[in-house]
Amino acid sequence: MNSFIRFLSSSIGRKYVMAVTGLSLTLFLLVHMAGNLTLYAGNDAFNEYADLLESNPLLPLAEAGLLVLFVVHILFAVLLTGRNKTSRSDKYQSSLGMGAKTVASTTMWITGPVLLVFLVIHIWDFRISKELLDEYDLAQMVVDRLRHPVGFVIYTASIGMVGLHMWHAFQSAFQTLGVAHPRYRSLIQNTGRLITALLVAGFGGIPFYLFFTG
Amino acid sequence: MIQKKNHGDLRIVLEVWRQNGPGAPGAFEEHEVMANEHMSFLELLDVLNEQLVESGRDPFVFEHDCREGICGSCSMTIDGKPHGPRDRTTACQLHMREYRNGDRVRVEPWRANAFPVVKDLMTDRSAFDRIQQAGGYVSINTGSAPDAHAMPVNKENADMAFDAAACIGCGACVAACPNASAMLFTSAKLSQYTLLPQGQPERDQRALGMVDQMDAEGFGNCTNHYECEAACPKGISVTNIARMNREYARATLRRRD
Amino acid sequence: MTIADSHASSPRLDAKVPGGPMDERWSNHKFDLKLVNPSNRRKFDVIVVGTGLAGGSAAATLAEMGYNVKSFCIHDSPRRAHSIAAQGGINAAKNYKGDGDSVHRLFYDTVKGGDYRSRESNVHRLAEVSVDIIDQCVAQGVPFAREYGGLLDNRSFGGAQVSRTFYARGQTGQQLLLGAYGAMNRMIHAGRIDSYTKREMVDLVVVNGVARGIIVRNLLTGEYERHAAHAVLMCTGGYGNAFFLSTNAKNSNVTAAWRAHKRGAFFANPCYTQIHPTCIPRSGDYQSKLTLMSESLRNDGRVWVPEKEGDPRAPQDIPESERDYYLERKYPSFGNLVPRDVASRNAKTVCDEGRGVGPTGEAVYLDFGDAIRRDGKETIASRYGNLFEMYERITGDNPYEIPMRIFPAVHYTMGGLWVDYNLESTIPGLFVLGEANFSDHGANRLGASALMQGLADGYFVIPATIASHLAGRKLEAVSVNDDAFKEAEAKARERADLLLACNGNRSVDSLHRELGNTVWNYCGMERTAEGLQEGILKVRELRAEFWSNVKVNGDPNHVNQDLEKAGRVADFMEFAEVMFNDALVRDESCGGHFRAEHQTEEGEARRDDENYAHVSAWEFTEEQKLPTEHREQLTFEEVKLTTRSYK
Repeated sequence: MNSFIRFLSSSIGRKYVMAVTGLSLTLFLLVHMAGNLTLYAGNDAFNEYADLLESNPLLPLAEAGLLVLFVVHILFAVLLTGRNKTSRSDKYQSSLGMGAKTVASTTMWITGPVLLVFLVIHIWDFRISKELLDEYDLAQMVVDRLRHPVGFVIYTASIGMVGLHMWHAFQSAFQTLGVAHPRYRSLIQNTGRLITALLVAGFGGIPFYLFFTG
Repeated sequence: MIQKKNHGDLRIVLEVWRQNGPGAPGAFEEHEVMANEHMSFLELLDVLNEQLVESGRDPFVFEHDCREGICGSCSMTIDGKPHGPRDRTTACQLHMREYRNGDRVRVEPWRANAFPVVKDLMTDRSAFDRIQQAGGYVSINTGSAPDAHAMPVNKENADMAFDAAACIGCGACVAACPNASAMLFTSAKLSQYTLLPQGQPERDQRALGMVDQMDAEGFGNCTNHYECEAACPKGISVTNIARMNREYARATLRRRD
Repeated sequence: MTIADSHASSPRLDAKVPGGPMDERWSNHKFDLKLVNPSNRRKFDVIVVGTGLAGGSAAATLAEMGYNVKSFCIHDSPRRAHSIAAQGGINAAKNYKGDGDSVHRLFYDTVKGGDYRSRESNVHRLAEVSVDIIDQCVAQGVPFAREYGGLLDNRSFGGAQVSRTFYARGQTGQQLLLGAYGAMNRMIHAGRIDSYTKREMVDLVVVNGVARGIIVRNLLTGEYERHAAHAVLMCTGGYGNAFFLSTNAKNSNVTAAWRAHKRGAFFANPCYTQIHPTCIPRSGDYQSKLTLMSESLRNDGRVWVPEKEGDPRAPQDIPESERDYYLERKYPSFGNLVPRDVASRNAKTVCDEGRGVGPTGEAVYLDFGDAIRRDGKETIASRYGNLFEMYERITGDNPYEIPMRIFPAVHYTMGGLWVDYNLESTIPGLFVLGEANFSDHGANRLGASALMQGLADGYFVIPATIASHLAGRKLEAVSVNDDAFKEAEAKARERADLLLACNGNRSVDSLHRELGNTVWNYCGMERTAEGLQEGILKVRELRAEFWSNVKVNGDPNHVNQDLEKAGRVADFMEFAEVMFNDALVRDESCGGHFRAEHQTEEGEARRDDENYAHVSAWEFTEEQKLPTEHREQLTFEEVKLTTRSYK
């Protein structure tokens, strides 16, 4: 136990936690996205899928697990970023840069919190608010939300953020976990980009589909 | 081949950081210096310092020694780039033919809490020594070594170990990192021994010791921007960081306390 | 002092060379030496000044043995000592290639290469321990070059007839130094070494005739510190920066050695300096140092100058028939691979004839055109790619297309503080290791031998021989509050105050540059009695100018690099005169010391073994007075004295 706590208080241990939770969340997003795609088949298909999910007795456990993943990911992000933002008190007077960093890599600490805000809205909209209702049509709720201009903008912008976050995150997680043989470097990078593109297209396609077909 | 941009003399406006000690307020001082395209950047600073001395002012303090890119003393950020604009080149090997007449060049020290400014462009990099002391060696007493051929080493590993060992300990990786992280340095040292059979017996304690010391020194965390690799005058690869991450996790799993 | 019998050593110079057969001397000596009981070692404090190959290896090994070690260096980290810049390799008589190498052959080559001016017994010991060095370094994880089978690779270096050079690409010095630094780190971590960085030794403290401590200036705070110990090891490198321009690091200096000299350590053979033939020539007055390129370039490059004086044409416009490949012409069997001193001197000769090339006229071409045509650009790139890149970075010229320009530069100094077989100087308790001593290379050092000597001294010789002092002498307790320490510190302070008080109008660098010019012109590659006498006068004038007109600014109680430099240059100004004197008194040519009066008809060095087969060791008398010469006669029992010939 002692060694585990020491691991979690080290820089590398914390990065491991970020990588493991991050990759797990990526997996969740892929499943989530696959479910969302049922919307293309119509509201009924979507609701059927939702019912199937909700009738699974393991769902609360999965939801709790997901919550833990998010909380841990966010908590460790705060710990790591806090240190990174204070490790150079006297800032450079010129703009520092060798040209290797990317928009995605340098905005993780911005895309992260923005996604947290979205997450809260998203959970309120589609998870908590329905608990307050006696009867609801989940698919219709989604359709209403996304056809509303504000909902549309928030949702699509947030998916963009997911894309930006993921663009850096995927290969970064593998690097952190120590999977970085030069031969596989581009394979991992390309896989990450592919998954990112999939997620953006999968999640992002729906609001456009709804918005412009409604 | 380098594109020849200039011939003959160049007028360079230098803005050089002046700071009297750690925590003291600092500011740029502007000076005009005449350069020649064959001069090294440090020779330009020599000329500036000689001007200053002769006019009764304090010369700028900057670290330098071998001036051939191997001792790792020189440590200055030139226009936001540690060691300046040329790839895989230390400041002492940067030559003025990279600049044009009339250029304005800004020179600052390495900036990181773990590298406090001693004076002007000189910083205290003893944190690197302490990281090495925490395990960056093979514990073998003089005279007790077996014959050098007793243990063959796979050539590929030997070459990779060498690539990692090429680190000159200048600190450009820390200076270039948006988080002032020392992971490239630490991982290069660690990798050299991890890749060689001689390093195996102390593999775990080395990883734990060096990483813990690195953390204790107040460096930031790696967030995989790879700016360090781009700034490294010896081209040390970030695959070393991945190896260190792996080694640290492995050592944690195997530790007994 | 007059030497009644010119073939007897001065009684002050007892080399303590053990008797018996040459190849048993070191073993016998180790057996005869007193030992310090392991449990008693912790009662002894040892100061090690310098953390290069010699200092780093000595500090680590003595600490492993149980002594309390205090290590000092002028850098911010022990790892930055100038040993780090050595490129080529390290020799060892391993005979891994099975090409007939042996301890005896390495010994023989080194004595011959040193032009018969080194002490046979020391050189034999060096050759013996060379094999242990490689074992030690490999065990430390030094990444030497390997073959596909996993065994160590060797190459032939500097014209050696066997492949005995171990190397780590072009960074052998850095890798070996990091090995020694790692060994030090282990002992620092264990609390066995106290490491003092950014400290400059400014004086040696001698108590009752025994070296018992040092005074250092903390280069960060300007404070003076006194450190006492039972023995002092100086591993402070060479004095090449007397020339201002050299391949030495900017901070390399003679101060520690010179201060010890003034406290009674004799300075041996200061005129022996090595000029390396393949350096990048200077480009202008602002030049701060010179960069060496590995000698291996001469394996494929051809050296030439135009036939005609002052030929203004670009090299590619000069037809083959109007080029003079002078090394190939004069030395048909060795050609471009003649030893360093021969290659250097010939470059100077052709430049003096007005046939030098480049903007300063002080360079010759090193042309890879033929090699590229013969082996292809790729092969040449695989051999010398990094060197070509370095050359291009510095000069802006692409050596694949335009011949390199090279010129000799001061690279290494064979002279140094005199030491006996135990590496102990003429001050009991003061040991001198590595380039700082004079012992093993005679009048000329072979390639890949400097690293070998530094590590031999530190890892294997001093750990055994230091006991001769620690166990062999009664050492009374001393305290840093003793008068000797106070006096030495006061003297060091006074000197710094004097420098700051001068307040003249010349920068330290400008005076150093002028000194360097004088030393180069009058005591460089070629020396004459007349020139040396003139040079001495110039050095004296310059020294007077220095003390009346130097300008040192800044706060003495903070980092003050100008003050550091001023102290070092002041010492070079004094030291240079001894160097000139030594060169003047040695009325023969040998190795790196070429007296124009003593050459064969072909312009080769002519030794005078009858009268000069000795070491000249200089004793300091008083300020502004000539030092006294003492001689150690060299005897050659194993190696026959012959004339070196590379025809």
